[in-house]
Amino acid sequence: MSPERRCDYVWIFLIGLTLVSAWIAEASFEAGLGITLLVAAIIGIKGRMVIDHFMELPHANRRIRFMMRLYFLMLPLITLLVHLFGDAIARATSIS
Amino acid sequence: MTEIATLPPPRGISIFSEAQGRIPGNKGIWVGIYCEMTEFALMFTVYFLAKSHFPAVFQEGPTRLATSAGTANTVFMLTSSFFVVRALHAVRGDRIKSAIRWLFLALMMGLSYLVVKFLEYRWYTSQGIRISSSAFFTVYYYLTLNHLVHVFWGSLGILFVLVRTKMGAYSSQGYEGLEAFASYWHAIDLAWLGIFPLLYVLR
Repeated sequence: MSPERRCDYVWIFLIGLTLVSAWIAEASFEAGLGITLLVAAIIGIKGRMVIDHFMELPHANRRIRFMMRLYFLMLPLITLLVHLFGDAIARATSIS
Repeated sequence: MTEIATLPPPRGISIFSEAQGRIPGNKGIWVGIYCEMTEFALMFTVYFLAKSHFPAVFQEGPTRLATSAGTANTVFMLTSSFFVVRALHAVRGDRIKSAIRWLFLALMMGLSYLVVKFLEYRWYTSQGIRISSSAFFTVYYYLTLNHLVHVFWGSLGILFVLVRTKMGAYSSQGYEGLEAFASYWHAIDLAWLGIFPLLYVLR
């Protein structure tokens, strides 16, 4: 598959994930663990796709690639941790 | 003097060493990209801490935002990134006229984002939603205004590489500047890919 055609498919997929996100927002789901997991997964997948296919990092400098991929691993992970342990994080970061 | 002359050459301390693989664009742009990503990491930290402290406010806040505007701007950012990639592919194949068209379309996407953001802010103001309305909106304006500034100067960047492409500065033999800009623009896109779900979708 040519790089151009691959990018076309990636773009269509990314737009599809965006529409799924919009549907989740409009459906006004309660922020349960399932929805948080789904939203976190979408963040991770979209980030990874842009990093790999638009930034073209899979064959680039490995430290640059590692740090960018790590960013979009940490962001969904922290999203999940805040959902699960928000109270504990609030207590740990209170000044009193 | 003899001792100094026999010292081994200094070891490379750059984390962006060419020995680690090819660097897209140039080292300078990656310093800028990591500065930007660090800046947004700090703002995301503020978001996560505020959400932990005010869960009810962060559950109610997104319901007052215009999902359509957030979705449209996500589509504009992703599409502009896609157009910039296609421009880069065109330059690599020496299809300069095609590259100019892709860059022009990318610029239109960037400008569309700015127009939608302006209309969105205006609508919030008419609804009485301000930066001091709640902790959620403080974080919302803090993150989105900052991102807006990046899109604004990023759009100027598209204009710059568009003019440079027209002037024949890039070809399959050399396109470092265009590739560096493309990497930066994708980083701005990436920041929005964090902002949209956290502020508009998750509640």
